[in-house]
Amino acid sequence: MSTAAMTAPISAPREDKSGFTRDRAVWGAIMLAPYVLVFAVMVVYPVAYGLWLGLNWNSYRALFADPIFIRTVVNTIIFLFVAVNLKFLIALLLSGFFVQQRAWIRIVLVLFILPWAVPSIPTILSFRVMLNPENGMVNQQLFQWFGVMEGPGWLTDPTLAFVCSIFVHIWKSLPFWTLILITGRLAIAQDLYEAASVDGANRWQQFRFITWPSLATLYVTSTMLSMIWTLGDFNSVYLLTGGGPGDLNHVLATLGIRYMRNNNLDLGIASIIVAMPLILPMVFVMVKRLSKGAEA
Amino acid sequence: MKLVRHFAMGTAVAAVVAGWSGAASAQEVLTAWFTKGFYKGEDDALLAVVDKFQKATGVKVELSLYATEDCVTKSVGAVDAGTPPDVGFCTTYDFRTTGKWAYDGKLEDVSDVLEPLKSELQPMALSTTFLMNGKTGKKSYYAFPVEQQMMHITYWKDMLEEAGFKEADIPKTWNGYWDFWCDKVQGSLRAKGKRIYGIGHPMGIAASDTFYSFLTFANAYNAKVVDENGKIVLDQPENKKAMVEAVKSYANIFQRGCTPPSSVNWLDPDNNVAFHNRTTVATHNATISIAGKHMDDMNNASLTAEQRAQAKKNYEDNIRTAEFPLKADGSKMTNLAAVKTAVIFADAKNKKRAKEFMAFFMKDENLRPFVEGSAGRWVPTTLKAIEAPFWSDGKDPHRAVVYKQYKDGTVPFQFVYNYNFTTVNAENVWAKAVNRVVQDKIPAEQAVDEMIARIKQIAGS
Repeated sequence: MSTAAMTAPISAPREDKSGFTRDRAVWGAIMLAPYVLVFAVMVVYPVAYGLWLGLNWNSYRALFADPIFIRTVVNTIIFLFVAVNLKFLIALLLSGFFVQQRAWIRIVLVLFILPWAVPSIPTILSFRVMLNPENGMVNQQLFQWFGVMEGPGWLTDPTLAFVCSIFVHIWKSLPFWTLILITGRLAIAQDLYEAASVDGANRWQQFRFITWPSLATLYVTSTMLSMIWTLGDFNSVYLLTGGGPGDLNHVLATLGIRYMRNNNLDLGIASIIVAMPLILPMVFVMVKRLSKGAEA
Repeated sequence: MKLVRHFAMGTAVAAVVAGWSGAASAQEVLTAWFTKGFYKGEDDALLAVVDKFQKATGVKVELSLYATEDCVTKSVGAVDAGTPPDVGFCTTYDFRTTGKWAYDGKLEDVSDVLEPLKSELQPMALSTTFLMNGKTGKKSYYAFPVEQQMMHITYWKDMLEEAGFKEADIPKTWNGYWDFWCDKVQGSLRAKGKRIYGIGHPMGIAASDTFYSFLTFANAYNAKVVDENGKIVLDQPENKKAMVEAVKSYANIFQRGCTPPSSVNWLDPDNNVAFHNRTTVATHNATISIAGKHMDDMNNASLTAEQRAQAKKNYEDNIRTAEFPLKADGSKMTNLAAVKTAVIFADAKNKKRAKEFMAFFMKDENLRPFVEGSAGRWVPTTLKAIEAPFWSDGKDPHRAVVYKQYKDGTVPFQFVYNYNFTTVNAENVWAKAVNRVVQDKIPAEQAVDEMIARIKQIAGS
């Protein structure tokens, strides 16, 4: 076939300057239309409407004037820092345990995954019941076994309640991140460990020079993703303490609901939008890292 | 031929259906949203009124009954969207929306319906519906006072006796009263190894019980928050000082371990639950619903004979409804009443019929069965109904106390004078101040300063 024949247009009269036929462009648009429509309705409109609702500057003035807001921001930062770091440290350690190929460890792994697999509402509410200071199982046992009349105020002391919220968050999401790190560990070639072992490297040295360098990218990317999810974690705080006692333990994810419950939609939206400067850079860095990963 | 017959038959059916639907659409319709009653008697009485109204007028009433929280949430959404029902009656409108709706011009002026009824209504209850319209700058009647509630003390008489005390031992003075439940009753039960608390004392931010109870404490110290023009007077020295004492008094019950620790997170039903579980000996509660639960049980055919007998014993002998003690200065306690309001919306499609319906509903023979259907949970707003034997014959141990409190006189909430107090209450600045003292251990004076600052931010000066 000649070169001229290969480059001959299918429908010469309809060829445009860019080389695309009008038919192909039309078909492309038709095929794309449903996706664009769904994207516009399900993504663009809700986000744009939310941002539009959040354009009321008086809401932000009112938000910053509310004494509970600054406390909430501080709570959110502490929650984020402690929960994410603790969770990943524990997940890293546990992934080292669960990666071992033994039958009983696999059974334990199945049990370990359960908190993540079951729905949040019943599990977190069961914690709420267990930790009730009067009738909860924990303090009832302290009373029956040790005669402790007034057990710890798990959900009534602000500090303890906050610690319990972080604990429940970690308990709920730890299995997922442990699984992710297990897959990361399984991807490391066993030859490296065998060679290191022959060279006399101990466990710590194997971790330091083989495991960690191989896992670091996954670990950091997962940490960032977890930060975004933790920032939006409503269940752990709201279902356990309702942001209490005394509105002292709200995080940004629950503060919005508090405002909306009080028929104050504007402040609810504003309290969510104030987290955007924190979320957007993380999303940007995340996408950049993932793009690099895809290119590699 | 068969085809022609089928076609003719189909045409005839279509014509009948079209004619019927045409007739149906021609019938005048009135939409009404009500809170679903706690008891079947309430709903039955309401349905009877609706039925009578439909028969009398030929107007179809489309009645929807919603759970308490759903009712107000749905109403707020409908009003914002400009598609409200014609008539709305949710039992939390007064706490949350009536004043604001009136101010924003969202309610129909119902003076023409209420004026002829004025002499039949309790003046305080009526006064709560005389509201400011921010658009006209004038006050007028924008709601119907359907029923009301007050705050009561409820206690287990048998638990009191178990602690070694008689009812006659209960002090009447303010401090003596709380000391009695906290130190003597709880102390005695604890000495017997029982993990029981003297008082179920609502402290939760999200509970309306908390602000109702706290504002009763504020009344006990004569802490005035707003004047009748809605101006904030809490920052005046004598009111501020009284409020500090109220915060101290309210916080003190928690600080001395006299209420279950979980009361800091309580929602509205939780003090009832703790009482029913006999975790607390006494509690304060708006309405006599705690005792009412046992009355409901004693008439509940699905329970066993033993359970019904126990419920009857609880209602008649074991549970007592009582008034609050005397104020801190020794004077008679003020009964804070929440008047539940029905409204006609300004954007309603059928305001004329809505007014007719409400005029019909507010007639004593219609309203009384509805209010009495709540088994004493709601108190009448009409002068005639409260004098009915249901309340005044003294045969029912709980209603007799409610009747006495009513006769002692009632006062309204601040939101009647300044609608922004619905937001103040929703945010529960009162509980927040108490929690600051209890949890953050700041002085009550500082907590009240913060409270005043926040109230001014929300409700103006």
